[in-house]
Amino acid sequence: MSRPTDAARLVLAIEDLSLCFGHRQVLRSVSLEVRQGEVVVLLGASGSGKTSLLRCINLLNNPRSGRIVIDGAPIFDTGLDGRDRLRLSERAINAIRAKTGMVFQQFNLFPHMTALQNVMEAPVIVGRVPRAEAEAAARRLLGQVGLADHVGKRPAQLSGGQQQRVGIARALAMNPMVMLFDEPTSALDPELVGEVLKAMVALARSGMTMLVVTHELGFAFEIADRVIFLDDGEIAAEGPPAEILLHPQNLRLQNFVARFHESADMLKPFLAGR
Amino acid sequence: MFDFSVIVQNAPLLWYGLLVTLEYTVATITAGVIIGLIVGLIQLSRIRLLRALGRLYVEFFRNIPLLVTLLWTYYALPIFLHVNITKGWAGLIALSCYVGSFYAEILRAGVQGVDRGQTDAATALGMTYRQRMRRIVLPQAFRRMMPPLVGQSIIQMKNTTLLSAITVPDLLYQGSYVSSFTYKPMEIYTAIGAIFLVILVPLTMVTRRMEFGHVSPH
Repeated sequence: MSRPTDAARLVLAIEDLSLCFGHRQVLRSVSLEVRQGEVVVLLGASGSGKTSLLRCINLLNNPRSGRIVIDGAPIFDTGLDGRDRLRLSERAINAIRAKTGMVFQQFNLFPHMTALQNVMEAPVIVGRVPRAEAEAAARRLLGQVGLADHVGKRPAQLSGGQQQRVGIARALAMNPMVMLFDEPTSALDPELVGEVLKAMVALARSGMTMLVVTHELGFAFEIADRVIFLDDGEIAAEGPPAEILLHPQNLRLQNFVARFHESADMLKPFLAGR
Repeated sequence: MFDFSVIVQNAPLLWYGLLVTLEYTVATITAGVIIGLIVGLIQLSRIRLLRALGRLYVEFFRNIPLLVTLLWTYYALPIFLHVNITKGWAGLIALSCYVGSFYAEILRAGVQGVDRGQTDAATALGMTYRQRMRRIVLPQAFRRMMPPLVGQSIIQMKNTTLLSAITVPDLLYQGSYVSSFTYKPMEIYTAIGAIFLVILVPLTMVTRRMEFGHVSPH
């Protein structure tokens, strides 16, 4: 895959971001940049702040201090001294939010709507796209994720893998600049993980900018341009997947990666016997 | 043993009582739904003071026995306000305010019971608070709310019998009246109970079917 160069457009810039839940500091001065077409995977143990970081980008979590800029538009900024906080109207925040598409661990599809209605909802209601146009786009997107035959079904009638693919199509419907994936395969039965990863790989190959929280090291290794390892709310390691996953320098990262190797090793005798 | 001729002979009196009961049921449920909608939305407000006021209303009417509220509205409120309140209005006010507090609570619980992820997803798509409420949260909340709303309304119909304590001529009051000059309490109170059963049991069964029809897993 062609690697985006430094010249590529800066789609997401996070500077010095801190987040607290009550007295617990979840993120400590995190900075990262994502350029157009880049696929960045966030790794880390549970509780390391990966999901919290992702949810800060569209302000589902309210950070304490720092700066977030999406495609040149600041959505959050407390200034250097944390005092001259950027105050945007709900409308302005939503306009910037719509530049990001989010895919959730629990899918969060709207249960009272069909797959098609789920995908059309935001373009029609938020984007004021004419209904017919939105429907055509929604059908195309659902076709892209392999659900052309399921457009009329409610989420309850779909498997987990199918639901998550609707979730991807729904997020894509607003033509986002960057897609945020929050452990998109963690709630799925093992045999359904593949179909969702396949859709994500196709999306990455099409040049979509992606920031992905996942435990699928295989996906990180094959698809990511860059891997970021979060530990206790801080970026502990960052680099190309081969470097991070095969030659981890950081001790915590070594332990983290080793655990995955261990579970793979544990399976070997079973796999060999087949 | 039973001599139901007394019912037939006094049917017009009991029929009048039944009409009064039905009138009060419909009127107080209607007023209660409006009160519940307003107080429920106040309880869901993002302003803390409003939420506290809504809470206060709900806890006030939910925790005072309805009979006390009713008697207080009829006998004490006119003295406080220096106005005349007829027994009809006192009954309407007390019963509406009472059931309104329950409806408000049902609305609040229904909205807050909608999965947090639904709001997250709608927000992430760029929807405003109003759009989220109207398109995503309320449609799901209403489905959850229907069974408890119908249940509370059934209780409300039974509660209208308390009106007889302030001499509003509802079904129970008319029954007591008939019983006072016919000396047939057994037949009359049995008949009154039966009338409530005949009206409410089918309603309850419809509600139960609705509960099954509206289960909406994710």
